[in-house]
Amino acid sequence: MFLTRSEYDRGVNTFSPEGRLFQVEYAIEAIKLGSTAIGVKTKTGTVLAVEKRVTSPLLEPTSVEKVAEVDEHIGVAMSGLTADARTLIDHARAETQSHRFTYNEPMPVESCTQAVCDLSLRFGEDDDDGGSGGGMSRPFGVALLVAGWDNGSAVLFHTDPSGTFYRCEAMAIGSGSEGAQTALKEGFRADLSLEEAEVLALSTLKQVMEEKVTSTNVDIASVAPSYHLYSPTEVQGVIGRL
Amino acid sequence: MTIIVPSGTGNVYAGSGTIQHPSWSPYDENGGTCVAVSGNDYCVVASSNRLSTGFSILTRDESKIIKMSHKCVIATANCQADRKTLQKTLQTRHIMYMHNHGKPMSVAAMAQLVSNTLYYKRFFPYYTYNLVCGLDEEGKGAVYTYDPVGSYERTGYSCEGTGKDLIQPVLDNQLKASSPLVLPAENWMTALPMDDAVDLVKDAFVSAGERDIYTGDVVELLIITKDGVRTEHLDLKKD
Repeated sequence: MFLTRSEYDRGVNTFSPEGRLFQVEYAIEAIKLGSTAIGVKTKTGTVLAVEKRVTSPLLEPTSVEKVAEVDEHIGVAMSGLTADARTLIDHARAETQSHRFTYNEPMPVESCTQAVCDLSLRFGEDDDDGGSGGGMSRPFGVALLVAGWDNGSAVLFHTDPSGTFYRCEAMAIGSGSEGAQTALKEGFRADLSLEEAEVLALSTLKQVMEEKVTSTNVDIASVAPSYHLYSPTEVQGVIGRL
Repeated sequence: MTIIVPSGTGNVYAGSGTIQHPSWSPYDENGGTCVAVSGNDYCVVASSNRLSTGFSILTRDESKIIKMSHKCVIATANCQADRKTLQKTLQTRHIMYMHNHGKPMSVAAMAQLVSNTLYYKRFFPYYTYNLVCGLDEEGKGAVYTYDPVGSYERTGYSCEGTGKDLIQPVLDNQLKASSPLVLPAENWMTALPMDDAVDLVKDAFVSAGERDIYTGDVVELLIITKDGVRTEHLDLKKD
């Protein structure tokens, strides 16, 4: 792919003669540099586990935020350019709140994911209509795992910079995603309990992480059925069960 | 300082003491009555098909109930122009909701949407009296009652429109006891079996038709159960 570098590299909305959008493909590459994030779905809820790269002991680990709450029933884990994720998460939060305002009900998770993906595709557009995300001159270099609770069942979605999204049982994104997905394929069962899913997600994360897993360099969150970010003590508890 | 103008001088100008505003009335009162009664697993919604203005009958065949889905209908009384716009707007919103979310709106969602839609026009309101009725997510009957600017409440039964003064007290008398079948007791549910509720609504309309000149001709009844929406018609006096 990098060998065919050409003038089609520049315009973000210009197809190459082979029918590719290079900037979108490069954005997908950017995710492969990001820290690993894993999502595992069970019948009772979804677990998100993310690696936090705490590069220096002078860094405050809690300031590295790779999982975020969108609404009471939706949480996301991110990998790639996490600064880009803020725009997407802000949009998702506005959409879910707007849905609650208008319909007095939680927004369906798929609709929320769709709204985020719609924004992902809005790069390279003029901002003259005042639309949020317009004026973004390049694709968002971030992939998200959207975990949620929909009408009595857990759901997990994976989105990427091309604006496509898939419903998943378990998924890994980021630098260790290939190895992690292989491990998930082996370890995943449809009848996992939430506790087993915590262990599967964290042990998979452990396999692909360079450092030793501690309660400060990973974050775990669950949506079961509402969003909960694990405290260091709770994370330590899961580490103890590995 | 007040300048007193002799009477009979015709139109007066600003500063002349009495200011006569040009009359402009954007609303018409077209009458009509809507009634809804909900039970444990049904909801009966009824509305008279007479459309009037003043002492004139404009038509004897104007349905005031719109069916949004198999589980949700909206009945709207008074200003016909406003009703049509409101119901058209809501139907469009509902279709867009189904496209976006892949399911029909629940009655509770529609209830909130109707409230927002009405309040959005807080300072030039739709001159309409609405009932949002259907079956809730648990399959129980639901009636939401509104004022013209969107204040709303879930109740077990309600009446809106020109026949309200005649019908609401009868419904209160017959239905206000909470159902002994629902535990814990929920005061929005009537214990009445469905057939009795239908008869009650019909009787109420027959009586209201005797006294209210804006209620008459035909009553359209929509009976909502888990099997869908069934429509019945009952003739009233045409005088």
